[in-house]
Amino acid sequence: MIQLTVNGQPVEVEAGSTILDAVRKAGFNVPTLCYHPKLVPYGSCRLCLVEVEGARTLQPSCVVPATNGQVVHTDTDKTKSAREFILSMIFSERNHFCMYCQDTDGDCVLQQAAYDEGMTHWPITPAYKPFMVDASHPDFILDNNRCILCRRCVRACTELVGNATLGFEERGSGSILIADNNVPLGESTCISCGNCEQFCPTGALIDRRSAYMGRETDLTYVNSVCMDCSLGCERVVKTRDNRLVRIDGNLDLGSNESLLCYDGRYKPVADNRKRITSPMVRRNDQLEPIGWDEALTAISVQLKAHASNEISAHISPRQPIEALSAFHEFFADHFNAEQVTLLGHDQTALTSAKLANEIGAFESDLSALKDCDIAIVLGTDLVKDHQVAGYFLKRQAMNDLKMFIANSTRTSIGDWSSNKLEYVGTDYAAVVDLLQSYAQAEDPDLPAKLQNLGFKPERAERILGQLKESQKPVIVIGKEFAKAENLPAFHKLVQLAREIGAKVVTLKGKGNNFAGALLGYKLDAQPMSTPVFYLALGDGHACDHTRDALAGSEFKIVQASYASEFTEIADVVLPCTIWAEQEGHYLTSEGKLGLNQQAIQAADGNLPVLDVMKSLANKSGLALSEAWRAAVEEKVAAIVLS
Amino acid sequence: MTKPKVASDWLAGCAGCHMSFLDMDERIIELTKLVDLRSTPITDLKEPDESGVDVGILEGGITNTYNEEVAIKMRERCKILVALGDCAVFGGVPAMRNFPGAEEALKRAYIETESTDESGMIPNDPELSTPVHVRPVSDVVKVDVFLPGCAPSADAIFYVLAELAQGRMPNVDGEFNDWH
Ligand code: SF4
Ligand code: SF4
Ligand code: SF4
Ligand code: SF4
Ligand code: FES
Repeated sequence: MIQLTVNGQPVEVEAGSTILDAVRKAGFNVPTLCYHPKLVPYGSCRLCLVEVEGARTLQPSCVVPATNGQVVHTDTDKTKSAREFILSMIFSERNHFCMYCQDTDGDCVLQQAAYDEGMTHWPITPAYKPFMVDASHPDFILDNNRCILCRRCVRACTELVGNATLGFEERGSGSILIADNNVPLGESTCISCGNCEQFCPTGALIDRRSAYMGRETDLTYVNSVCMDCSLGCERVVKTRDNRLVRIDGNLDLGSNESLLCYDGRYKPVADNRKRITSPMVRRNDQLEPIGWDEALTAISVQLKAHASNEISAHISPRQPIEALSAFHEFFADHFNAEQVTLLGHDQTALTSAKLANEIGAFESDLSALKDCDIAIVLGTDLVKDHQVAGYFLKRQAMNDLKMFIANSTRTSIGDWSSNKLEYVGTDYAAVVDLLQSYAQAEDPDLPAKLQNLGFKPERAERILGQLKESQKPVIVIGKEFAKAENLPAFHKLVQLAREIGAKVVTLKGKGNNFAGALLGYKLDAQPMSTPVFYLALGDGHACDHTRDALAGSEFKIVQASYASEFTEIADVVLPCTIWAEQEGHYLTSEGKLGLNQQAIQAADGNLPVLDVMKSLANKSGLALSEAWRAAVEEKVAAIVLS
Repeated sequence: MTKPKVASDWLAGCAGCHMSFLDMDERIIELTKLVDLRSTPITDLKEPDESGVDVGILEGGITNTYNEEVAIKMRERCKILVALGDCAVFGGVPAMRNFPGAEEALKRAYIETESTDESGMIPNDPELSTPVHVRPVSDVVKVDVFLPGCAPSADAIFYVLAELAQGRMPNVDGEFNDWH
């Protein structure tokens, strides 16, 4: 521990802390602009200058380490005039028209800093020279007129997302933020994750959809987990007057380090599909609105009139555990329906659970991906799926992370590393066999194995030769590898991982796939046509195969938030709440429970799947237990290492 | 004791700051008990007394030579000068004209407007003032009190004038320092 004093107050901080950490721990504050808790300190804006006794000049507290015996002052005439000077310079360099800036009042860190210094005007008048505005991106606008050159965006894009799209051109106060080699953002390598926009402290990066929809300080915030994939990234949903305004990564919760991908941040706010507003039933080949009770009675009558092998029920993994549990209990336990499946056919969670059942818990959490020296990625493309997990690897690929990739098609994650070996194909048994050869002492069959997979020995040696010496190897398992037929290879792989001390991370499809597997859903079956077909789509999509199975069924019940080709052919349509209109839990890939809080009220007539299951159970004289937590937690503990 | 004299005028602004001034409603009666309101753009007397006033208030940025004259005259005739609103304090909305330049802006307004026919022309009467690089009032004359805001609230304006009327320099801070 390091002891120092701040404004006369003694304070103790851990070794490695900065003066800024000490100042804040002592209960004081200094304004900052370029500093961000999730980024490596950069020390460019100098707004955080403090006086350290004995030092010749003022010190930037966000980068200078705290040392024993330091005597720090934050509010002296010297620091105050330095801050005012710095702010004067910043305002004189660009065009800060707060009156029509979107980021005003409480949202803008720069403006707040000026208020805190009691500035009522700019001591130095700017030249009012125009700077480049880039409005080519569909999700956000870059306005260099408001940029303070703090590089938080550049650092977020490079250090955290590993995408390195943003950079600066020109020098000094004339620096201009650009994408790639100065191409419009909308045509750049940008993946529209929006993390730069969230990290920008000013109105220089503006979210198109929330712009001018009200100050962020006037919005209502609730915590949410993203259910677009099973990483379950923690996020904050911001609303106003019962309308979604924007979504940000949660700075305090989750393994996602406040990062989101497009699907978690922008897609839900951009969603403008047509909502279903009332229950409907097909009469004379037309869907006609009816009351809820009538609709549920019609369903109940059909369910009772059919044998269990004539009923199938299918639900979206975007639904919360509460709904999945009730749905399974109702259809599988009470009705013993022929098929109760989770849409998406992603078997990863099921295969992994089976394997853990045989050999004990073996999975690691996502932190394994954040610090590794060799990553073996099997059967997934982390640039397309589970993107935030992909960021963790991409950002290390810029340094010297080695990657071995096997997938049926070429992956984009491979493009991020020059230190990679990539196999395109599906012979995973041969792949695991090869890995085993590299993990062992000597394998006389190695040349043959290499040739079989089409690898050049030197290149393979350069990557996989490291496997034995590697300090922090990680194996990432995706959908394609974790199919039931690959179970033996999976088994071997985990044994190998245990031998060489590699961590194994499995990525389990969409939303609540993992929970679905643990609740007993069939993840390996394709829906088939049955006399009664219940499809709980919610706000999700389903594949063509599911649509055909629905079309071939006799009595088609579709519970959905949006009008689609599924509701069009249904016999009964039940309007369903969307993710933001209901509360519920999600089990992430790494086995953590996240809570999606309700952010907005649904219009009258929309009901959550859970409520409908309860009503249907009621009509059949059944009561649903609603207990799932203990069983789920126990099963997770048997799969994921604690 | 004689009441301090107050005069106001507007330069390149939208009149919104003066509207906000009026927005103090019945407190304006209270204010007239404290100060002697002399010239304003919305009353009969248009120019500050030659004999001088105690407080001068200017709304709007400097966009032409006429604005400069008005600002200089007000400065000469008042003891304390208040820059009222974002345009007076920062240049504000009119300062956007600096981006294309005055010439382009005039061309767009008088010649290229969708509703203008071939006879459109930029007014060139010699009596008219000449456009200048837009800037805050403080770039032309010394300003003593800055009251930013678009527009500053009636409360903030009342506070500033009430303080000045009672011989104190206002401290524009907290909710009154709102750049918007
Ligand atoms: S970025 Fe901040 S300081 Fe600049 S104009 Fe916008 S609100 Fe004002
Ligand atoms: S949206 Fe994401 S990828 Fe695009 S520039 Fe910003 S941080 Fe980089
Ligand atoms: S765009 Fe925003 S985050 Fe990026 S350098 Fe400019 S002010 Fe900083
Ligand atoms: S990585 Fe997955 S959970 Fe995270 S924001 Fe993207 S889709 Fe959502
Ligand atoms: S916050 Fe410390 S230098 Fe910018």
